Amino acid sequence: MLEWILRGLHKRRITTRYPRDPEHPPAGFHGRVDVLRQTAAAPQLADVCPTGAITVDDHGELRLDRARCILCGECVRNAPDRFALRSTYETASRSRERLVVGNVGDDHIDHVRQTLGARAAGLRRSIHVRHIDCGSDGSEEWEIQALWNPYYDIQRLGFFLTNSPRHADVLLVTGPVTEPMREPLERTWQVMPEPKALVAVGTDACAGGLHPPDGITAGGVDQVLAVDVYVPGSPPAPIAIMHALLLAIGLLTPEEVAA
Amino acid sequence: MNGIQSIQPTDDELAQRLDAELEPGPTRELRLRIEPDRFPGAVRQLHETSARFVTMFVTATPDQTLTGVFALHGQLLLLRAPATPDTPLPDDRIGNWWPSVAWAERELHEREALPAARPHERLLTRPDADRLDRTVSGLDVFTIPYGPVRSGIFEAIQFQIETGGEDVPRLQTRPFFKHRAIEARFAGLRPDVAVHVAERVAGIASNAYASAFAHAVERALDVTPPARARSWRALYCELERMACHLDVIAKEAETTALYVGQARFQILKERVQRLRARLTGSRFGRGVIVPGGVRCDGMIDLDEIHDALDELERDLARDRRLFLGTASMTDRLIGGGHLPRELVERYGAVGPVARGSGLSTDARHERPYGDYDRLGIRVVVHREGDAMARINVRFGELSESLRISRQVVDHLRRRDGDLLVGLPPHGTGAACGWAEAPQGELLIWVELADGVVGRVHIASPSLRNWALFDQAFPKDVLTDFAFIEHSFGLTPAGADR
Repeated sequence: MLEWILRGLHKRRITTRYPRDPEHPPAGFHGRVDVLRQTAAAPQLADVCPTGAITVDDHGELRLDRARCILCGECVRNAPDRFALRSTYETASRSRERLVVGNVGDDHIDHVRQTLGARAAGLRRSIHVRHIDCGSDGSEEWEIQALWNPYYDIQRLGFFLTNSPRHADVLLVTGPVTEPMREPLERTWQVMPEPKALVAVGTDACAGGLHPPDGITAGGVDQVLAVDVYVPGSPPAPIAIMHALLLAIGLLTPEEVAA
Repeated sequence: MNGIQSIQPTDDELAQRLDAELEPGPTRELRLRIEPDRFPGAVRQLHETSARFVTMFVTATPDQTLTGVFALHGQLLLLRAPATPDTPLPDDRIGNWWPSVAWAERELHEREALPAARPHERLLTRPDADRLDRTVSGLDVFTIPYGPVRSGIFEAIQFQIETGGEDVPRLQTRPFFKHRAIEARFAGLRPDVAVHVAERVAGIASNAYASAFAHAVERALDVTPPARARSWRALYCELERMACHLDVIAKEAETTALYVGQARFQILKERVQRLRARLTGSRFGRGVIVPGGVRCDGMIDLDEIHDALDELERDLARDRRLFLGTASMTDRLIGGGHLPRELVERYGAVGPVARGSGLSTDARHERPYGDYDRLGIRVVVHREGDAMARINVRFGELSESLRISRQVVDHLRRRDGDLLVGLPPHGTGAACGWAEAPQGELLIWVELADGVVGRVHIASPSLRNWALFDQAFPKDVLTDFAFIEHSFGLTPAGADR
């Protein structure tokens, strides 16, 4: 045992200081797709996207729905003058509409991050998180689990994992909600005490991703329950999920932050 | 060598013995056409010649054909019987006497509109979380429906555990809570787009799924990816194997409350994930492997990869020594979830589960694909059959993956040239592709018509191994459950598709 203790103390600090300090992804990281040019788009441009995240209206105005984007990069390869992959972690949003590029301007990331840091400090280590898988591909679970590893150590911000939904404040949902999981999801949400927040983790959970609403899956969690925070990504990185959790706790405290 | 070969029948002899007709097919894929009423008999014959059952499904092109896939003598054997409405399938259920066939057969009967399809009363593919069917009776025997909402961050699956509190006389694994019909999502896409779907079947094995899918497309269209691309694929797949194995070991440490050990193995896993992100832009190595090769070189230089591998190996060696020297850890694993070799063989298990019970099955060795014939795989086998053996297999494979990765990096220094060859624009064909995923042998059947993907069938290692999980509690008690589950290291996403 002593050897394990020494081993545990052996390394320098590796834990991120996010959200107090920014955390930068490696160069070339697939964080999100940005639209470089929005007007005068050819209607065929919509066809390059395997999940239908890109639409072009009658006036040639292009829109990208990040909630549907699986970051495959097909659009970037086909039209590099219009789309670019951007290396970022802060992709979550409180509203479904804000994930559609073309509706609103870029957010003030640094301001939001600092506000989130203050909010976490005010919570006095009391948020309990519960997860339910409704048909993910399994990678989202790895990224959520990673939040409790020494690199991210989300407990330092006061987030704990709970096994009982009756003790949970935040529910993380992954997957497009398959038919056999619809009722377990509804029941899990129902027994959680108020106030509570629901976070859709991953593109599949946000809007179905590859899976349309066809009876086999619901095509996204918001087809079943109201979603408070959307984290697109296939899968979203641990910092992106951490960012989403910090957005979610705004719903549990009196003060509201626009994000 | 001659002695062994003389026992093995030639393709013609095999066809004659099974009363079947040889059909043309790609290498290492022996296709035999057979009359539907002869199908169960031929399967029985294959069972007697110690063939390993892989999967069973219905193909769409050129016609609706019931296809059974078996691994035999270093090649795949595809037993194909017409399944048109006027040729009803035989009544005989193969799964009744060969357990490895049972789940694939039930899935087939429940999903396909076959003339003789007769699903069981309780459907495997449409699970009901609230429906329990108890068979063990007695004083104080109770049933625990564990899942599909798990404790902790785990994928959805249900285990119905019948227990008196300690012994587990009966366990039923209930998969398919996560069924997304993802095989249907491939249809109509070009192969280079469809590979994004393959990467999202079982996310933790994205690279294995992408490379098996690419392998199938390349075999169907008779294309060979360039040497440089084969090297990159091998590197990505070995990094993925390391991440998966480290994940299993970290979870075992967590289960014993060996928290420093858990943290150490999580750190190693996170470092592998970060290396993959620096190489490909994705922590799961997505978006790089594509039919015909790879899209681009790794984004960091080879020396940097080499250094990262060295550092990983050094730290792994220390943590491994500590892990294996901690009695509170190994005591829980030794003897736990014992699976005798015969049982594992009968269930057609693959991957670390099979290799922990003395079977040396590994697709990289049995039917080398990509660069694996050059890389010289050492198959890590332990005979004890317990959870410890399955963890030891993973420790052995971690070292082996590091060795292969380093060898690949050296190959990449010398190999220049193309990364991608073009596919024929209107290519048509069908073939099996495979890869040794971290969970075991993965097989994907792909049909292509006019350059577009049609039907796809996936035989995941997780589904095949899970049938065996019900048998893994011969002398174990309820509190061993988590240890045994983690020692299997499977993913429901792959099983349910």
